[in-house]
Amino acid sequence: MSGAPVLSARGLTRHYASGAGVVRALDGVSFDIAAGELVGIFGPSGSGKSTFLMLAGLLERPSAGEVWLGGQRVSHAGVHLDGLRATRRRRIGFVFQRANLIPFLSAIENVALSLEIADVAPPDARHHARRLLEALDLAHRADSLPARLSGGEQQRVAVARALANGPPLILADEPTAALDSARSRQVMQLFRRIATTRGTAVAVVTHDPRSVDLFDRIVEFEDGRIKK
Amino acid sequence: MNLAFKDACHAPARFALTSFGVAFLLTAVIGMVGLYRGVVEDALLIIERIDADLWVVQGERAGPFAEASAVAADVDRRVAGVPGVADVRRFSQFSQQFDFAGRMRRATVTGVDVPADDGRWLTLIAGRWLGAGRYEAVADAVTGLRIGDRVTLARDVYEIVGLTRGMVDSAGDGLLFVVINDATVIAQRRTSEEIHLARAAHGSSGAASADTSSVAQDSKIAAVLVRLDPAADHARVRAAIARWGDVAVLSTAEQRDLMLNARLWKLRLQILAFTLLILLITALVVSLIVYTMTIEKLHQIALLKLIGARERVVAGMIGQQAALIGFGGFLAAIGVSRLIFPLFPRRVVLLPSDLALLALLLAVICAVAAFVGIARASRVQAREVLS
Ligand SMILES: Nc1ncnc2c1ncn2[C@@H]1O[C@H](COP(=O)(O)OP(=O)(O)O)[C@@H](O)[C@H]1O
Ligand SMILES: [Mg+2]
Repeated sequence: MSGAPVLSARGLTRHYASGAGVVRALDGVSFDIAAGELVGIFGPSGSGKSTFLMLAGLLERPSAGEVWLGGQRVSHAGVHLDGLRATRRRRIGFVFQRANLIPFLSAIENVALSLEIADVAPPDARHHARRLLEALDLAHRADSLPARLSGGEQQRVAVARALANGPPLILADEPTAALDSARSRQVMQLFRRIATTRGTAVAVVTHDPRSVDLFDRIVEFEDGRIKK
Repeated sequence: MNLAFKDACHAPARFALTSFGVAFLLTAVIGMVGLYRGVVEDALLIIERIDADLWVVQGERAGPFAEASAVAADVDRRVAGVPGVADVRRFSQFSQQFDFAGRMRRATVTGVDVPADDGRWLTLIAGRWLGAGRYEAVADAVTGLRIGDRVTLARDVYEIVGLTRGMVDSAGDGLLFVVINDATVIAQRRTSEEIHLARAAHGSSGAASADTSSVAQDSKIAAVLVRLDPAADHARVRAAIARWGDVAVLSTAEQRDLMLNARLWKLRLQILAFTLLILLITALVVSLIVYTMTIEKLHQIALLKLIGARERVVAGMIGQQAALIGFGGFLAAIGVSRLIFPLFPRRVVLLPSDLALLALLLAVICAVAAFVGIARASRVQAREVLS
């Protein structure tokens, strides 16, 4: 393993043209996340946290700046986003406030789908998906449809899906906002465990001050910049 | 895992309803095409089956199907004398209503020249062919008559001795075969008042009866069917007969052409127009269904892109869903068609070639609809998951 950080944001900037002028959603953000590190991203609403995750997750093109993954430049102002699908598939796992599970697939199928689109043979994908769900205490829910799962269970399935291809980076945008405090804690502990045991770099945007103790590092955003 | 299949299984009732909607549209298409085929087949039935090389009909007429025709009573004997002619049969046909079992029925009385016509061009499903005796009839099953039934036609009682199936005229009325002389009698049926008036007009006190004409009547023989010697020269025989002037000679091919392009032309055009219309509707509805299914899944499609699925995973889901709807609808349509069309009053003919063509058309429709859906899906961006 190289010493390069898993994620390196360099001067990431994103401007949106709006009616009144230009919104500087993100304004020159630079920071790195190393393997096994759990970083909490805090900051008031509208401070650019989601925008940062979109850029880092290759879902949005930066106006300026670069995204490096594992020592390799993958995104910059002129990048063609659709060409980054394979990179997303292999290197990044996403978790959002809503679980966004596919409603017509069972929990295990939702997880296995991630593997299958990365060319894992269906029986292997299913096997691995089951192991992941077991690890997340969801073995008994494996064959349930998302509609039959509680919010916390759905979110853990979403985490399992994000983990499926063993990505070195997981980006989570307010993953516990829709959960009660006990369940929130559970999910946050899950991220902690993933970072520690798998060596995954995890960035979690959250408003929840109770999980502060779990993070290796906290980054605070304000007006599109990192607060010093 | 097959996303299209999983989605269909997730909402089976919905999928079944959609497929059935498509199926009923296709059933209507199959029905229209089948009706067209049935009308054409029925109309050509006699012409093709009766095994004649030439039809000798009334002069300057295109009888006996496209126009009325009556030939003189001696034409058959005259034609038989022409070199190259193997055999001749007299033929007549007209519609007839009659009372049976308290209900008015319709049949197309068809006079056949027994014993020259041995009926081997017909398949009997029961009973026997006409004997040499009079007052017998062979009926088609659609007339509702059965063996042993007795029906009154022009004051005489006819006994049904044989049954055919599927022998109808171009209007779908069942054929009722009688010997040609009986047919002539039935055709000449007149009220007793007419007979009295006719006698008075001729000033005769004579022995005119209902079946020997006492007024100047056209012959009731519509046509004389000619079979040629294998070695005979068609054109020469035709020319020889046509030279008499009082008759016209038509080949079987000309009869077929007259039936389809003169008598049935408007009906055919109309049915074809409706078929095209319903095909168009089917195309629109099926494309709309496929497109709507795509639109409903935009969120899932965005998610697939977010987790890095290749375009072909998305395209595959849309394409397979379209195929599933099309295939399911087509199979159901064939099932429904087989079930309900035999109950229709007119024959609906399901030709494998027509079904294959329809399947092909449907495949094209589904493919185009899927293509439009896939094009729409390709514009979806991964981050739309979050909106
Ligand atoms: N697509 C967009 N178009 C215009 N403005 C946007 C868009 N996305 C975000 N913004 C603006 O950028 C700023 C940062 O938003 P965001 O990154 O969502 O903040 P946070 O996640 O910290 O609440 C906000 O002012 C928001 O209105
Ligand atoms: Mg946000």
